Parts: sequence; structure tokens; C-alpha cells
Amino acid sequence: MMDQEKAVGKKIDLESVEETLASNPAKKYYRSVDELAKTPEYLASAEDEFPNRKDLLSMDRRSFIKFMGASLALASLSGCRGFFLDERKVVPYVRQPEDMLVGTALYFASSIVLNGYATGVLVESHEGRPTKIEGNPQHPGSLGAANPMIQAAILELYDPDRSQMVTKDGLGSTWEAFYASMGDTLRATKGEGVRILAPTVVSLMMLGGIEKLQKAYPGVKWVQYEPTARDSVHDGAVQAFGQPVTPIYNFKDADVIVSLDGDFLTSLPGWLVYSRDFASRRRDVPETVGSKGHTMNRLYAFESTVTPTGAMADHRWGVKPSRIQGVAAALLAIATGKAVPDTPGVPRRALDSIVKDLKAHAGRSIVVTGDHQPAEVHAMVHALNAALGNLGKTVKMIEPVQLRPENQLTGLKNLVAEMNSGAVKALIILDGNPVFDTPADLQFEQALGKVPVRARFGLYADETSEKCQWHLPSSHTLEGWNIAKAYDGTLSIAQPLCAPLDDTRSAPEMFAALSGAAARDHEIFVQTMETLLGTGAGFEKKMNRCIHDGFIDGTAHPAKTVACKAIEPTVGKPISGTEVLFLPDPYILDGRFANLGWLMELPRPLTKVVWDNPALISPTMSKGLKFGDDDEMVNLEIGGKTIKMAQFLTPGQPEDVITLYYGFGRTVSGTIAMSDEEGSDIMRKGGFNVYRMRTSGAMHFAPAAITRVAQVYKVATTQSHNTIDDEREVLKEWTLAGLMKFKPEEPKELANLYPEDIWQYNGPQWGMTVDMNVCTGCSACVLACQAENNIPTVGKTEVARGRELHWLRIDRYYSGTLDNPTVTWQPVMCVHCEKAPCEPVCPVGATVHSHEGLNQMVYNRCVGTRYCSNNCPYKVRRFNYFNYSDNQDQFTTQKPPEARQPKPNGVQLLKMLNNPEVTVRGRGVMEKCTYCVQRINEARIEAKKQGQDPKDGDIITACQQACPTQAIVFGNIADKDSKVSKLRSSIRGYKLLEEVNTRPRTTHLGKVRNPNTEITA
Amino acid sequence: MTEPMNNKLIMGSQTLETIDEMVTDVVLDSKRHTKTWFMIVLAAFGVLQLLPIGVGWLLYQGIGIWGNNQPAAWGFDIINFVWWIGIGHAGTLISAILLLLQQQWRNSINRFAEAMTIFAVMCAGLYPALHTGRPWNDFWLFPYPNIMGVWPQWRSPLIWDVFAVSTYFTVSAVFWYVGLIPDLATLRDRAKPMWVKKLFAFLCLGWRGSVKHWERYQQLYLILAGLSTPLVLSVHTIVSYDFAVSIVPGWNVTVFPPYFVAGAVFAGFAMVLLLAIPVRAMYGLKDLITAKHLDWMAKIMLATGMIVFYGYMLELFYAWYSGETGEMTLLNWRLFGPYRYAYYALIFCNGIAPQIMWWNKARRNIGALWIVSLIVSVGMWLERFVIIPMSLTRNYLPSADKMYYPKLFDFVVFGGSIGMFITLMFLFVRFLPAINIFEVKEQLDHMKKHDSEHELAGVH
Repeated sequence: MMDQEKAVGKKIDLESVEETLASNPAKKYYRSVDELAKTPEYLASAEDEFPNRKDLLSMDRRSFIKFMGASLALASLSGCRGFFLDERKVVPYVRQPEDMLVGTALYFASSIVLNGYATGVLVESHEGRPTKIEGNPQHPGSLGAANPMIQAAILELYDPDRSQMVTKDGLGSTWEAFYASMGDTLRATKGEGVRILAPTVVSLMMLGGIEKLQKAYPGVKWVQYEPTARDSVHDGAVQAFGQPVTPIYNFKDADVIVSLDGDFLTSLPGWLVYSRDFASRRRDVPETVGSKGHTMNRLYAFESTVTPTGAMADHRWGVKPSRIQGVAAALLAIATGKAVPDTPGVPRRALDSIVKDLKAHAGRSIVVTGDHQPAEVHAMVHALNAALGNLGKTVKMIEPVQLRPENQLTGLKNLVAEMNSGAVKALIILDGNPVFDTPADLQFEQALGKVPVRARFGLYADETSEKCQWHLPSSHTLEGWNIAKAYDGTLSIAQPLCAPLDDTRSAPEMFAALSGAAARDHEIFVQTMETLLGTGAGFEKKMNRCIHDGFIDGTAHPAKTVACKAIEPTVGKPISGTEVLFLPDPYILDGRFANLGWLMELPRPLTKVVWDNPALISPTMSKGLKFGDDDEMVNLEIGGKTIKMAQFLTPGQPEDVITLYYGFGRTVSGTIAMSDEEGSDIMRKGGFNVYRMRTSGAMHFAPAAITRVAQVYKVATTQSHNTIDDEREVLKEWTLAGLMKFKPEEPKELANLYPEDIWQYNGPQWGMTVDMNVCTGCSACVLACQAENNIPTVGKTEVARGRELHWLRIDRYYSGTLDNPTVTWQPVMCVHCEKAPCEPVCPVGATVHSHEGLNQMVYNRCVGTRYCSNNCPYKVRRFNYFNYSDNQDQFTTQKPPEARQPKPNGVQLLKMLNNPEVTVRGRGVMEKCTYCVQRINEARIEAKKQGQDPKDGDIITACQQACPTQAIVFGNIADKDSKVSKLRSSIRGYKLLEEVNTRPRTTHLGKVRNPNTEITA
Repeated sequence: MTEPMNNKLIMGSQTLETIDEMVTDVVLDSKRHTKTWFMIVLAAFGVLQLLPIGVGWLLYQGIGIWGNNQPAAWGFDIINFVWWIGIGHAGTLISAILLLLQQQWRNSINRFAEAMTIFAVMCAGLYPALHTGRPWNDFWLFPYPNIMGVWPQWRSPLIWDVFAVSTYFTVSAVFWYVGLIPDLATLRDRAKPMWVKKLFAFLCLGWRGSVKHWERYQQLYLILAGLSTPLVLSVHTIVSYDFAVSIVPGWNVTVFPPYFVAGAVFAGFAMVLLLAIPVRAMYGLKDLITAKHLDWMAKIMLATGMIVFYGYMLELFYAWYSGETGEMTLLNWRLFGPYRYAYYALIFCNGIAPQIMWWNKARRNIGALWIVSLIVSVGMWLERFVIIPMSLTRNYLPSADKMYYPKLFDFVVFGGSIGMFITLMFLFVRFLPAINIFEVKEQLDHMKKHDSEHELAGVH
């Protein structure tokens, strides 16, 4: 620093500074020593507030007149407001809401119920306008992470396609009309024959509402059904323990994990927590040379399709879904010393080794299975865990979080029977979409036709609404209060972030009105809280505390001590030949999120497919079908019914298994969800309705026949099947044993024609590490980035063309055989090269370097030559080929404006979604990851107020925040003690494409696997 | 169509008068223009209409109407730009470099080639201007003083490009116009209707043909030739920097500047032949653009074609010799990837087809010459296709690979620019002297002197 000062000839005369101080005792504050010393630099800067501006005095007369004329003309334009300019008013708050500072975001704890459990979230709100959903770090079901579906709820809130008013027979009506009409029915029947069909009920307020209605009209009964119901978990627990307990797992203490089709990393309830815990043990690997004593866990996976869990496994076997039971039986038999059944496809030796490994870690292992496996598998898994002594240690049995645990399918069947018999006089359908998603053989639609009064309460007018007289718009979860149970039973509180945008009601409100004691949401919430917290003194304070936290502390269900009955290993009835596996789509789930462009366009973890649900088929099957064109369709015959749909070759898919994701193929819904299944355009979107192939007898897998159809349907995917045919070290991988012995090579001195330091850096230097070892590929980060940075969706055709806008992509690399490849995830976003190739090639200087090491993109200056993108070796830059952001229906910009479907308030609604901290990019502009510079600036401003640099951990990028496994770490690499600095120096650390000499600020940490040498040998 | 060839650059028994007549009649005598001319211009003008359609839709919708994507952010737009710029190289080369080298044979074709240059550069200029995401901000690429103190980013080859191309266009246009002045005066003298006379009088800037005028003219012409000469080399060198400066495998090649320049001359001569052959037939100019001229041009094409082909081979060799992973990957991609047919077609068009020029017979066969020129023009387009999208679709990170396919509007805009080029060329042939009258006359004089010297010496 001193040298530099000398170099510019700057010399502070300290003596004169002291003199100044002494001579002027009245002046107490000074900003810098420069100020006192009155150095020329200081004087210059004090004099010239805006350096480089054109000085008025240096202007000649003519220019002055010109400027004056122009200024007058412009000033007079402002008088035209209200005529041809918008009239805008800035009005101060008459009463400023508490805590609100205009321009500063506020965060409110809330929770979101999904698939029968709640997850705590924090919602970012700008001046009363919620803009983003993040995990609640204190909530036991989130720990700060948020999955893509939860994050997309914010888009759902503003979805212009959400239903906005009550309709009767398709015509506008009112809530009062519905209450009057339904009230008549209820009074006439006393509730006899009135049924409520609800999704899995975990909300105390919902249950309270239904019970209130039942009290008023005792005949009312309710049934619950969801396509993803955990019936087999329920039945399996009953078989093993005699009561419906639910297992929850502690992966933190598990050394050995065996997954029998149990995708605990991205689908079991509580997966955010499981991922975090799993990663904590995955991460226990050497970071320095010669480090010893690491206890990284080991994961064996048997799976019937490709899931992130299988991709993370140290050993993976693809097994047909109906044969998973055989594997479970074999494991149980070996563990308990019984006759071991045959397990085709899985060598006995491997099973022996697994059981040996499990037994060596008795009490510190977990066997886990998936919801779609039959009850018998669940029972055997319970028995295995019991035999291994895991119960009560790594596997806890708790009271189910469903308020009425039951086999939902049985309930649904009974309801349909009642409906068919004419016993049901009125049916109120809460959420769900039974006309679309109930098993085809129940013929719910026909049964519904026999019910005289049908009312549908839901977010969207969909297939079910079309078949009901009444459609009642539901409030969004961010518009109302709720108390629901998290995966571990913790009572989670949802508070509204805004008043309902339209004339909608919450379900408890509706039930309250129907039962004759109309109450608003908040009143019902307070009443429910009173029953939970007691009405005594300090209730208000306690309740506010809970609302603030987002959950009621200490309400997690305690572990139940249950004894496992003796379970005989049974192989069940394996299906011979080809079989199909029905699974919910990873993102749009049972179809409820089909209208959310964010989720439709989020690449599915392994296939990277967007906007579609092609049948996943194995490479062997694909070869057998002899497609003329890779994009040809297939015909599936399942139980006498056929469906023609797209197919997708998926490495790792077990040989005779076809995976069908349900939820797609919507026929009545918003613009985005709508399927063009029947169309003939090869780029049609929206997927295929496979629900019509799903029957109550075969809810999860069924025998099938597949034939080729010589018709092309293009499936859009963000990553092609190119093999890596070069030796470039894009990925680094070790085995745990290998890493323990690993010594990184001394960095080679590469010949370099460039100066070492091209930038003079000062202040904190931002950098990031991405740990490929714990990345599960769940894509929460991709969605978080999209939500934070106002990234529009572009639609299927644009993705197919390679124009998706996601700033962050998770690259998937395969190695090994096509039939059972090993998967490595590599999240890649702008790595902020110190010598960024994009910068020198921009003709207008729209991409520049900051003094803190950020490679910045100046959208305003960008002309759009796209040279920067061509020269980026990581290809992380994204270009707005169309005006994607000004896009009310989110993806059809290819169509001219007049051809688009106008929505009431569509543009206004979606505008509210935008993060005000981030520029919305128009057409023709390049964009890319900024390291969430808006968050850096916010933290820097806060830190500056304290007179310091931001502390380590003050800045959390959006991707880092959402990541359930904390694979992304961001911070100051100039600070040697920061977490990111330490990780950067790990022996696993490497810079992507270091040989290109870009000097990335992002360091990737290599992948470690922990194979069982008995099996690999 | 084989034409007899002797070493004469002017055929027939020409006098100064016949040369004047032959050339100026094309402009002044409307009977010289058959229906064919009219049909060609009409057809070309029709094709030109694609341009306003394509550009209008482009400005309204955005670059998305083209096939560009990530990673291939450049596609037809830059292919066509480089292709047209390449075509625009022959004119100035013929006019300036051959003038300085005192190559007499340039005299009959230079005017024609220069006009072609100007129109080709105009077509080329469309693309960089329109290919930006926000074309209304293109002026940011020029260093204009502004109150924000923001300047272009001088390290970017695209900025060099702006200067190289705009300078080239300006100098070529001035060079062309200066060269036209004495001929415009001839047209003025020979024109019958008063208004035509007045028009040419105005255009020829009061040229009277005095010795003073000629002296000034020659000084200026030589200076301009001197200025243009480095430009011929620099424009395509700088265009090649757009690629060579980057770190994209397949672009980052040091051989690019000479190989691009040679390619440009190659493409330029092919285009001159492609147009000159039909025009000389249509207007009976075979005595002025003789088989000898065509022969020379064919030889230059052969020579530059060999340099270009050498460039291709060198690219392959260096990819292998460097041992660089990215380069090798790209090599595989070119030879065996899904676009391999484009690469093989390129090798055929630019490497193999021109080889028939080794044979006298082929060079004298006008049809063959024309077809080879056409093949070379296609080949040079393919070369840019191979360089630009083919290199971009294969990346350092395999996950970023994505195919590039053009869309309808890529062809619409390309077609429109071809229409514009042909329209302008044929309008030029109709309304301005397509052959440099006074230089040919000078040539004739020179030849006659030469002949009479021979006669005096008794050797013939």
C-alpha cells in the first residue's frame, strides 16, 4: 500500500494534520485523514461531486443554449402527464406499517403443505408484495432449504390462470349464492349423503372446519384421496407393528444405507432434512493430504427407475419394481438366517456382502423403501431395521402426521360405490383433481355424474371443476392462515403474506360459513391456536412467538417404542416380461403444478427432460424396438388399454421397465398445463395423461406391452446424450480409500503470455465452491436462481432450440455401462473468471470486472453481439432471443401478441412476481449468473453501516440458500479464515477448465465414492 | 463453349471509336438491352423483397426468428457476413494491387469487379448491423463523444471490424467513383438527349480531359490505390480476428489471417467470373473481356484455392499436432460428427473442384469455368459454416453441446441479400459503363504501339 502511495506521489503531511486538529477544537468529526490533510485528491473529489461530468462552465454559449432549450422542452413534457404519459402518484403512507421500510424486504415465516406434510418457509415481501419463498432455517422440516415445488408456490400465487371467482354451471356466481344453495341441501339432508373428498388432511384448521360441519350436520362424512397417498406405508406399518406408525430416519447417524426403491433424497416426506443429514456424512472425507479417520457413509441402492438416490449410490442395481420385494425378502432372509429366495439380476454374493456390511453397522444403518412399493416390502424393511437394531436409533417410529391415517384407496373405492348407488346426495371436492387423477377403473367421472349436487373447491378450474356445478376458488396458501403438521409432526404455521388477490376463500372459512358460524380465516386460526396453547395469560404473546417462528416448538411427534412382529420373507408376485412403473412427476407431482412454467421447464434430474413426460425406456429396450428415428413414439398396452406416447432412452433404466410419470396430459387447465396430446405437431407440449392407464388393482406397477409407432414426437431436453470422447478433466472422482492416499500434483508452471495480475483488487474477493460430492441433482438451486433473478421460462420449442435461460445448470455425466452407469452431478453457473474470456471481446464493454472479482454484466449497455457467449468456455451465458420477460403467459413469445390468449390482469399479476432488486431483462440482452450481486450489495450496505466488511456467512446466494445439502458455499476468498477459502484449498478442489487459463473464482470439489471392496473386487 | 485463346487482351479489330461505342452503347442505347436484362432485374428485385420482410420481422420479433442458440450464438448472420465480405475482395485487389503491379489485364474487368465489391460489402454490412440483439443501439459500437464518457471497448475484434469494414467501404466507393469520372465524361459527350447529357455532366464533375486533369487524376488514383492495397489485406485479416482472437477451439488458429485473405480473393474471383461470364455474353463484350482475362482469373482462383486448401490441411494437422483436447474433439466433430457432410462438401468444393483449372482446356471452357466458380462460391459459404456454427456446437464442456439448425428466416434474409446484390449489379451494368473505357483505350494504344514496334523490327 505504501509503495502505491509513493508511486502516485501522494504524501500525507501528518504534522499538519495534527496541527489542524489542534487548531480547531470545535470540529469533532472528520471523514478521513485525507480530509484534514487537504490532499489534492481530497480537494479534487470534494469539489467535484460527479467526476467526469461535463462542466457547465466549460461549455460554450451555443452548447449552453442548446442544453437549456432541450431541458426546457423535456421539462414541459412532464406537464403532459395524464394526457399521453402515465399519471403516476407517489403518496406517503398515512400510517406506516410496523417494521416496513420502503425498499427493504421483510421476511415472514410461513409454511407450505405438500403431499401430506408441511414445510416451513420464509417468504420475502417487498412493500406487502411477496416475491420469493425460501426455507426456514429454524423449521425442523426445512433447515433453511426449500425444494423446487415449494419455491414455485410464489408463481402459483400470481398465476393469472388461477380461478378468480365462483362459478355455477360455468357462469359467474357468488359465495353467498353457494352458501345459500349448499345450506339448503345440508339442512334438507341433515348432512346425510353429503360427502367431502379431501386430499391428505394434515391441517388442523381444515380438520376443525370439517368437524364443525359434521357437528352441525352429523351425516356429513369425509374421505381423503391423493394419487401419491402413502397407503403402503400405512399398511406396511400395520402389518409389522399392528398400528399405523410412520418411520422417520436419522441419516446423520447412519454408516450404511440400503435403499430398496426408496428415493429418500428427493421424494420421501422430509427429504430436505434427509438430504442434509445424508450429506453431512457424505462430506466426511479428507480435505487435506494424509487426513485419516473419515467415516463417510455408504449407500446401496436397488431401484426400479432412475432417481437421484440411485445416482448418489456407491452401488446401484436396476431391479424391476415387482422384484424389489424379492430383494427385500432375500436381505431379510440372509439377515435372519432363513431360506434365501432367488433374486434375478442381483448376485447373491453382493447381497451377502451388503448384509455383512449392515450387520457390522448394526444400530448405525438404515434400510429404506419407497411409497410405491407394496405394504409387504415396507413390513420386511421394518423387520430388517428391527433385526439390525436400528429401530429407535436411526429409524424412529412416530404417530402418523396425517390427522386420520388410513388406506386412502379403500376410502375412495367406498365413496365411488356410494356415489354409484345414489347414496351420495352432495359431494364437495377439496383441492385434488379426482376426475383426472383417480384410478381409471373406478370411473370416478361416471360416478360423479350420479351425484345431484357437486361442488369443487380448488385453485384452478380443471377437469373436475368442469364436471361439477359449482366451482369455488380457493385462496392460495400464501393468502391464508393454516396450522399443519410437518414430516415429523411439528405443528407448522402458515401466515398470509397478502390478502386474497381475488374473491377466494380458504377451506376452513368455507366450512365455517356452511356450518352456520361464518368466521374469517384469522379468527379460526386464533381459535385453533387457543386449543393448542391454552387460553391463559400470555396467549397472545405465545401465539405471536409461534407465528414469528413459523412453527410451535416442541410439537414434533415423539418416537414410539413399538415391537416388530415376525415377518416372513415373501417374494410376492413378480411380473414377468415388461412392466410399467407409475410415479409422480418429480416436479409437477400429481399434476397439481402443471400450470407452473417454472416447474414444467425445470430439467428432470436424470433425463433433463422438460415440458413432457415421455415413457422412460432402457437402452436395451430401445435397441429391441428398432426405432427408425430416435424421437419416434411408442404404443403401450396396459391391462387392455393402450396409450400412444413419447419415449425417452434413459441410461440406467432397468431393462424391462418403463417409467411413466403421471400428472401430465391435462385437458382442462391454464395455458401452460394444457396438453396438445392429440395434436400432430412434433413439438407439441404438455405430455400424456397416464392416469388413464393406472388402475386401483395396479396403482404402482403393472405388466405391459410396448410397440413402436412410426410417428415422431420431439422431447425437449437440456442435455444431449453426447459421450465425452476426450481426456479433458472436467470431473474429478476418487474412492474414499483412494482419496486418503491422494496427493495432489504440484501445480505445474504453465507458460503464460499474460500478465499475472490484470486487475488491481481491493476489498473482499468473492468466490464460491460447489461440492459435487454432496450434490444430489435435486435442482432446488436452479429454481431458487430463477425465482431470485427474475428468469423467465421460454417454452418447449425454445428449450429444444437450446435457448433456455436458467443461469445455473446441473450437468449430468454418465460413466460406465449404458445399462447401469455411474452418475456425477456438476452444477455449473458463471465461474467468474479472473481472466474472463468474455470481457475483452465485448465491443461495448457491457461485461466488465469489478474490483471485488465479479464478472459483471451491464444489461443496459449490452447490444447483443453474443460474442461473449461464443468465447465463454463454460457456456454459461444466456441470451434473450425473444422478449421472454414481457410474457404474460410465460412461454409463447414465439407467437405474435395478437395470437396470445389475454388473461384478466395477467401482465399485472406476473409483474408482481419480480424481484425488485434485479433488473428484468428485455429482448436482445445477454445475461448470466451474477453471484447474486444484489445480495452482496445488500450485505455490504448493512456491513458498511457498522463500518466493516461483510462477515463470512453474511452473504448467501439464492442457490446456496435453497440447497438441501449445502453443496454451495459462497464468501470472501481474500479472507483466509472464511469457509469458502478453506474449501478452496481442499485436495478435492479443482478449477473447471483450469488449463484454459481463465482462473475461475468458483472451485468445484471432486466427487468421492465409497464402494464396498468385497463387491467391486 | 470452348473459346479460342491467343495472348491478346483485346480482340477483334478495335479502334478507339469502336471501344467507346461498344461500352457506352450499353448505357446509352436502350436497344442493347434485351428482355433478358429486364427479366433478370425483375426476378432479382422480387427476391430482394425478402429483405424488407425478413428484416422487418427480425426487428419486430428479435434474433429468435433465426436459428441461433446457445452455444451457437452466431449462425447464418456471421456466415453470410464473412461470405459477402470475402466476395467483396476481388474488386479492390484487381483495381489496386494489380494496378500497382502494372498488370495490364486488369483493365477490362476492374470496373466491374469494383462495383461488385461495393455491393457485396453493402450486403455484408447488413449482417453485423442486424445480428445484434438490439440493433437500435448499434451506434454504441462507434466512438462518438457522449456525456457519460462511455467509449467502445477497444480490445474487442468486433470494434476493429467496424473500422475495417467501414473504411474499406468508404475507400472502395471513392476509388470506384474516381475511376468512373473520365468515363462519365465520355458518356456525357456521346449522350444524345439533353437531360442525359446534363446528368452525366453533373456526375463527371466537369471533367474536360485536360492534361492538368489527367495529371491530377493519376496522382489521386495512385494514392487511392496505395491506400486500398493494405485494406485488401487488412479487412479480411481483421474479420479473421473475430475468430482467431477467441479461445474457441476451431477459431483460435494463427493461420486464419492469411488463409482468410486468400479465401476472400478466391471467393471474389469466383464471383467475378460468375457474373462476368453471363454479362459479357449478353452485351457482346467478348472482345474486351477475352478468354485471356478469364484464363488469368481462373489461374488466380487456382492459386488462392490451393492456399485455402493448404489452410484446411494445416488446421487438421495443427489440431493433431497440438495434442490439445479441445482441438482434437473438434477435429473429430468435423470429420465424423453430424455435420460431416458439410465438411466433406467443403473439401470437394474448395479443394478438389478447382483442381481442374490446371488444364488449359478447362480454363478455356466457359461453361466449366462458370460451374467451378459456382461450386467455389458455395464452398466458401460452407467454409464459414464449418468454421462458425460447427466450432460452436462442440464445446469445452460436453454438457453444453447443442446442435444448430437454421430456421426459415435465416434463408429469407440471406435470399434477400442475394437479391439485393444481383439487382444492384444489373442496374450497374445498365446505367454505368461496366468496362473502363479509357483504360482499355490506353491498352489498345499500348498494344498498337507494341505491334508497330514489332513490325518495324521486322519480326512479327
